[in-house]
Amino acid sequence: MPDLLVSARGVVHAYGDRRAVSHVDLDVAVGERVAIAGPNGAGKSTLLRMVATLLRPRAGSLTVLGEEVPKGARRARMGIGYLAHDPLAYLDLSPRQNLQLYADLYGVPDAAGRIDDLLDRVDLTARAEDPVRVLSRGMSQRLALARMLLHRPQLLLLDEPHASLDASGTALLDAELGAARADGRGAVIVTHEVERIAQVADRLVVMRAGRVVADEPVAGRGPAEIRARYEQAIA
Amino acid sequence: MSTATNHPRWTRQLGGLVRKDLRLELRTKETVVAMVLFAVITLTIMQFGFGTRDDDLTRFTGGLMWVTLAFTAVLGVGRSYVAEREQRVLDGLLVSPIPRVVLLAAKAIAIVIYMTIVEVVVIPLVGIFFVKGAYWDSIGWIALVALLANVCIALSGTLFSGLALFTRARDLILPVLFLPALVPVVIAGAGATHAVVAGANDMADYRGYCLFLVGYAILFLLVCVATYDAVFDD
Repeated sequence: MPDLLVSARGVVHAYGDRRAVSHVDLDVAVGERVAIAGPNGAGKSTLLRMVATLLRPRAGSLTVLGEEVPKGARRARMGIGYLAHDPLAYLDLSPRQNLQLYADLYGVPDAAGRIDDLLDRVDLTARAEDPVRVLSRGMSQRLALARMLLHRPQLLLLDEPHASLDASGTALLDAELGAARADGRGAVIVTHEVERIAQVADRLVVMRAGRVVADEPVAGRGPAEIRARYEQAIA
Repeated sequence: MSTATNHPRWTRQLGGLVRKDLRLELRTKETVVAMVLFAVITLTIMQFGFGTRDDDLTRFTGGLMWVTLAFTAVLGVGRSYVAEREQRVLDGLLVSPIPRVVLLAAKAIAIVIYMTIVEVVVIPLVGIFFVKGAYWDSIGWIALVALLANVCIALSGTLFSGLALFTRARDLILPVLFLPALVPVVIAGAGATHAVVAGANDMADYRGYCLFLVGYAILFLLVCVATYDAVFDD
């Protein structure tokens, strides 16, 4: 396993003429959880999508799980768990059918047992056969959490993960992020909830206008101190 | 900690994707029902438009059938990625370790199945509406050329629907790209059908058109394999 789960050097991405991410460096070590915060349009989600191999860097170099992207993107994808704004689930299929599809795509062994286990953990067993369309937003997000964890990824990439989750879903996610640190996985969490960062991350990266304007550990800092530091960085 | 998965087999990925498309279709019944209705309505309009039951339209049979199937294919292919697009699932597929060409193959298989269902209705209906003379004896040959043509339609259709997926005017762009690509399929399908209906039995002609369709399918298969990664990866 590589020492760095993510290593980005001077990565750039642009939508047409507008640079969304401009010469960004980012390292994520084994067992490290990095929170990326910043105002709207700062380039946080674009950076996350590049690390998820969904967007190619226009310049710079990006290595994910030891694989150079985009060349080794397919191998890197084996170890990436991605939680997006949308649940990335087919609305006319049931949670179980959606998870079965992703189990096939990732080649998950003993898929039926793993799916049962995850449905139980996200408290969706009773709704496992209902179409996703009839589930609440919170339930859909818990299904997305199960989908992300299905193939036991080494690197968790989460975009606003606490949005739409109820208290039990949030507790489950926070427990999973805690476990990620303990068992040597890593996580990149894009969030607006700066106050939560002390709970879920080891390091704070602040972005503004496509650039990193702060990158520092959060250990020993309380929510108020992190908020103050964030406000200072984006000022 | 390492991931629990080994490199997934592409056959399992393909099976999962095809099963998903068929499950979605069985649950929603949106695409195939619309395609069958469209084809039946088009043939009915043509039947009234081209003449009465007393007119012999046998020599137009191939053309009428394959023009109908071509437009029906545009309808079906246009809905290939509707679920992924409208339900915003595409990122979930693209972030998984799936070769993009497997994504194409799964969509192509679904289109072949949908077109085959349409043809189960259309081929007999064409015989009833337009053919005077022997038709039912040659229905096996027509089915064979239809199967070949379905593969051609599926390969070119999936390629163009993949290209159109990332454009704003996808509903306009797909027919503009796809219909011209279908012209050779219509020519070959109509020619092969004409060669075997009403006792024509021109098997040399029929074989020539079938070989042409095989060549067309191979060409588009190569183009798909060469380009599909680029179509989907940013």
